[in-house]
Amino acid sequence: MTTTLWDTNGNEIVQTLSHERRAAGAIASGLALTLVVVVDEKHVAEAQSAATTAAAAHPCRLLIVVRRRMDTDDRLDAEVQVGGHLGANECVVMRMYGRLTLHAESVVLPLLASDAPVVTWWYGPAPERLAYDALGVQASRRITDCAAAEDPLAELKRRAKDYAPGDTDLAWTRTTPWRSLLASAFDDSSARPTSAQVEAEAGNPSAPLIAGWLTARLAVRSKVVESKGPGITSVEVRFEDKGHVRIDRPDGHTATLSRTARPDRPLPLKRRDLGDLIAEELRRLDADQPYAEALQAATKTKDLNDRPAKRTHVWKDPEPGAKKTAPKAPTAKSAATKKKEKTATRKTAARKKTKASR
Amino acid sequence: MSEAGGVAEGLRGNPLRDVRDRRLPRVPDPCALVVFGVTGDLACKKLIPAVYDLGNRGLLPPGFALLGFARRDWGRGEFEALARKAAEKGSRTGFREDVWRRIADSIKFVPGSFDDDAAFDRLHDTLIELEQTHGIQGNAAFYLSIPPSMFPVVLKQMQRTGMADNDARGGWRRVVVEKPFGHDLPSSRELNDLVDDVFTAEDVFRIDHYLGKETVQNLLALRFANTLFEPVWNGNFVDSVQITMAEDVGIGGRAAFYDNAGAARDVLQNHVLQLVALTAMEEPVSFDAEAIRTEKTKVLGAISLPKDMEHYAVRGQYDQGWLGGERVPSYLDEKDVPAGSLTETYAAVRLGVETRRWAGVPFYLRTGKRLPRRVTEIAVVFKRAPHLPFAMTDTEELGHNQLVVRVQPDEGITLRFGSKVPGSSMEVRDVSMDFLYGESFTESSPEAYERLLLDVLIGDATLFPRNEEVEHSWRVIDPLEEFWAGRKPHLYRAGEWGPSAADEMLALDGRVWRRP
Repeated sequence: MTTTLWDTNGNEIVQTLSHERRAAGAIASGLALTLVVVVDEKHVAEAQSAATTAAAAHPCRLLIVVRRRMDTDDRLDAEVQVGGHLGANECVVMRMYGRLTLHAESVVLPLLASDAPVVTWWYGPAPERLAYDALGVQASRRITDCAAAEDPLAELKRRAKDYAPGDTDLAWTRTTPWRSLLASAFDDSSARPTSAQVEAEAGNPSAPLIAGWLTARLAVRSKVVESKGPGITSVEVRFEDKGHVRIDRPDGHTATLSRTARPDRPLPLKRRDLGDLIAEELRRLDADQPYAEALQAATKTKDLNDRPAKRTHVWKDPEPGAKKTAPKAPTAKSAATKKKEKTATRKTAARKKTKASR
Repeated sequence: MSEAGGVAEGLRGNPLRDVRDRRLPRVPDPCALVVFGVTGDLACKKLIPAVYDLGNRGLLPPGFALLGFARRDWGRGEFEALARKAAEKGSRTGFREDVWRRIADSIKFVPGSFDDDAAFDRLHDTLIELEQTHGIQGNAAFYLSIPPSMFPVVLKQMQRTGMADNDARGGWRRVVVEKPFGHDLPSSRELNDLVDDVFTAEDVFRIDHYLGKETVQNLLALRFANTLFEPVWNGNFVDSVQITMAEDVGIGGRAAFYDNAGAARDVLQNHVLQLVALTAMEEPVSFDAEAIRTEKTKVLGAISLPKDMEHYAVRGQYDQGWLGGERVPSYLDEKDVPAGSLTETYAAVRLGVETRRWAGVPFYLRTGKRLPRRVTEIAVVFKRAPHLPFAMTDTEELGHNQLVVRVQPDEGITLRFGSKVPGSSMEVRDVSMDFLYGESFTESSPEAYERLLLDVLIGDATLFPRNEEVEHSWRVIDPLEEFWAGRKPHLYRAGEWGPSAADEMLALDGRVWRRP
């Protein structure tokens, strides 16, 4: 069941959601968390389907925030969905226009499931500092994706600079199958490692993370070498006794594990889809220290794990010219006038409410 | 493992394993899984799909081999075809060609009968060969998917070839046994001595697939991770405990086995008593295998039987009747059941647990076939409030508070308590609050066998009953069997909740069975 609300407000969304939940019979709630997704209009469907796959493992309230044009009147449209193809989940898609895009948290805050953890996921490029986005400040876990940035390697550095415990990146999530395989290859070897090398497509942000992880865990030098791809194509660790462990994956599909004096083993090592990556992220909601250590080693930064986990919102206006109307903390006067204007338009505007069932 | 310094030590001395790195799954050491009776029903329906699912989830080590042994004149190709069919049909995670190719690559088959020395020598040589070709490093788990009567022959063969010897090849050797673990105390001891002769006690894994179920493990989380339930989890607050394990099916084609066993030996002795142990055990000092098994053993040893067996140990046999809209035959009319058989298909008994926590609290257990629906649940029934400030008529519909752990189906927990009926008068009535396990965590939970198989390969014995537990269980069942011997079981119609004698048993104590 989908209810669409045109030109609405936060309160109406809360009421519609609670009404829809009753109608669907979901009186006792089994929600484990709230997932806030920040995405642009083009990728709403993609993000929603990935989040739904992930939610099959972790029932959640899905709040999708689409920030649209800012140079227009303030407006909020919303779609509320409960059950149906979402399974045990509920989803609110919110489209925000005008200056409201800078205050998305005012709509999202009352919609968070009570006392459940909040995870914020930026589908596309994340803000330069996560603290610039109030949606990230509320979350106990923040998911970014360096691979979505224009320059993934520079983005990795930016993430390290901005890191706070509770941050995580899908570039790191993508390394799990590789790391898992490497770890099992190490289960029965006692030789001392001396160096490591990762080969990957140019600009792949997962490669430096694997190299960083190996450096952090093995205390060896590791380097990243460019290859044709797709993605990461091989990882090799060399040992003091001239032996080596090497995993090759030339086709993005099947890997070969080769070790000195051992038969080669073919192993499936598939690139996973977005839903699986998000599902892995939602499995644990505490700070990921191994990620911090890998990121630290990859970007040559320091003390990532010792930073405070809590961020404070930093106001940053993307339109410096418009600073007057929305300062850091809106002054009592301007906030009041703004509110008045808003209520005036509300009263006159004929609000449409349509219901459509899926 | 210190987390304080920021550098966690590697697990198993592996620098890449880090306790804080919980994304990396638990993966077993390189090893071989040797299945005896690999062409059997259990192997095809459960084991091979479980191996495939483990592979698909990336939980098999790079050095892994599945070695089948059975009396078939087969080559590797035929076995691989059978295994492929089994995996395609039974896998939970969806069949993928590239995953299968990797598993197929590690499949071997050794044909031969159990009394054929040459075949076992071949098996032994194959295992050594696998160390070279598949890098299994002398680690092997032997799964005995064969009738218990074959155990002696197979175990002797393993002893003769030295296959079961931990030190011989410098790895671990484990054995997995399925129930029934004997048919009474002496026979279970005999079986155990036999296995212990060949393997060391800690290398023996007895599979009770019920313990592999998520809800059963969740019972431990419910009790020991929360503050809410443990304070009332004792005789001061609990009136009684009812454990039900009902099946709607009949005995199927298992007459030969079932007629010799009966419901008490088949189900009560293992599954139901294990549920009693988990419900009644004290808090283990830690969550490791030994601590948990120690507490379970203590409880099983403290179980007492009713003095008045005539009334408190009831057994029944199903008569013909209607079940789910279909006419079903009586037990005696099932194929291959001997005429006049006195075997029970239903058993209900009142037990006590003689500990400070449970003294005076009756544990009512029942299990049966051809009951109205398939359900397994543990119901903890609480005492009524000592004083009700309401008028008598206000609380007429208020029963006992109950906490029900639904093991299957609809895994979850139900809490029953009184609530005011909306309206101007004060009227209190029972309502249920449901937690559906599949709603908060809908990821399809691993099959019991998948979980247990992984535990065997990793060497985690938490979910496997140890021998003392089996022996204590037989000490409970043997006197019942002795009492029942030669007596005619009560008849109940198929599609009913058991014989009326079982209802009378609870009526004597002023209680009624909960309808699951």
